[in-house]
Amino acid sequence: MPLAFFDWIGENRNLRFMFEGFLTNIEIALIAMVLAFVLGLALALVRLTRNRVVSTLGGAWIDAFRNLPLILLILFMALYLPPSWRDFWTDNVPGWAPEAFESGLILGAFLALILYNSAVLAEIMRAGIQSLARGQGEAASALGMSYTQSLRHVILPQGLRRMVPALVSQLITLNKDTTLVSIIGIQEVVRRGRQVVASGGNPFTGSTVEAPILEVFILLGVWFVIVNYALSRLSRRLEIRERKRSGGVKLERVKGLEDQVAADPA
Amino acid sequence: MPVTAFIDILTDNLGEWSSGFWLTTRIVVFAFVIAMVTGTLIAAFRVAPSKWLQRVGGVYVEFFRNIPLLVLAYIVFLGLRDSGVKIDGLLAGTLALGLYTAAYIAESLRSGVFSVSKGQIEASLSLGLRYGETMRRIILPQAFRTVISPIGSLIIAMIKNSAVIGVAVAVTDLLKTGRLIQSRNFQTLETFIWAGIGYLILTGLVTLAIRMLENRYAIKR
Repeated sequence: MPLAFFDWIGENRNLRFMFEGFLTNIEIALIAMVLAFVLGLALALVRLTRNRVVSTLGGAWIDAFRNLPLILLILFMALYLPPSWRDFWTDNVPGWAPEAFESGLILGAFLALILYNSAVLAEIMRAGIQSLARGQGEAASALGMSYTQSLRHVILPQGLRRMVPALVSQLITLNKDTTLVSIIGIQEVVRRGRQVVASGGNPFTGSTVEAPILEVFILLGVWFVIVNYALSRLSRRLEIRERKRSGGVKLERVKGLEDQVAADPA
Repeated sequence: MPVTAFIDILTDNLGEWSSGFWLTTRIVVFAFVIAMVTGTLIAAFRVAPSKWLQRVGGVYVEFFRNIPLLVLAYIVFLGLRDSGVKIDGLLAGTLALGLYTAAYIAESLRSGVFSVSKGQIEASLSLGLRYGETMRRIILPQAFRTVISPIGSLIIAMIKNSAVIGVAVAVTDLLKTGRLIQSRNFQTLETFIWAGIGYLILTGLVTLAIRMLENRYAIKR
């Protein structure tokens, strides 16, 4: 057992190789978050329409996708995505995109992340909109606004702002979940971590010092802990501020999601 | 899609499906026990009168809930095995899932403890009960009732997360069963739908059970 801990970090490109992978994770999380937000808002509105059939179907879609394991969706997409779509992506990927985005499988990864997270965000928005709709919606309709008008001018502007803490919490989950795309071979941090581990004249980084798995994964775990800890502090601070200014109206917590549970400040 | 062909995927592989389903259930149950025991301990640290213990509890919670589960599973399984600890994959995976969820359980219990009013704690202490007795007899019974709903959420999250564990430590759980069957029949959509139904059955059952418990015992905050 050598006494030198973490001596592989300084070797050749090891650290840079992994850190670039980590930035890819954050990019994937942010892109997926924005797209899932748009689709999630649409799903929430479908769920809340007056048409019974449409709203039931929307609800079934949301409940199915948010209760499935994300990794099942990722593996499914990797296997099911038509090769022509993947080829189309590989041929047309913009030059400024990160290296990891050149793989056709990234398309499947994004589809799975967006499918799952849009269902989760739709449920967060539904809960937010409905917990406002009681008092505020009644007041709006008493003023003669139609359902759509009250949604657009009264409920959504307030509701979306109040959902910000819950959205930040979901971003933490999403950030962690981006590591799952390593399973289908996307060049992100976990994938690269496993490549750094390959010892003796590493083909990826040129390093000759052996990097123990334990040390590599503890290091990249700590990176996630730092970023996500900052996000969770932000979420908590926003939550407390929002609660003060809204006079204690509490948004209903969405069930079945770990970071939504943890977001509740004592 | 012919309906009979779809159903055949279930019936032709019934033995495999049920053993995968059973393994997923077992991972969740054992990890839940680990999570409850560890989580209760950490929550006790977090509300203990000693600043030092509070800090240890805080570091545990922030580390385990902010690290990706896949990375944690690799640390516990590949990392330890690489360092010479002979650890079984299933054990390592269950442990990782349990320790990860324990951080969330601890947070739920802690906010449950804070939901019991301070007056009760003072009353109990002034009646001559010790800190441990106050915890065990006065606070925790009430705290547990306020946390039925968040713990239910965490069980559902564990069911979904068990699939990550299955991949990380390579055991034949429900998802892996689906992948094995798919690699033989190449009917990707149909086979994955059956695997998905398996997970939805588990999450659905837990949702129902929690709703029943909530109606009976829950204290609304």
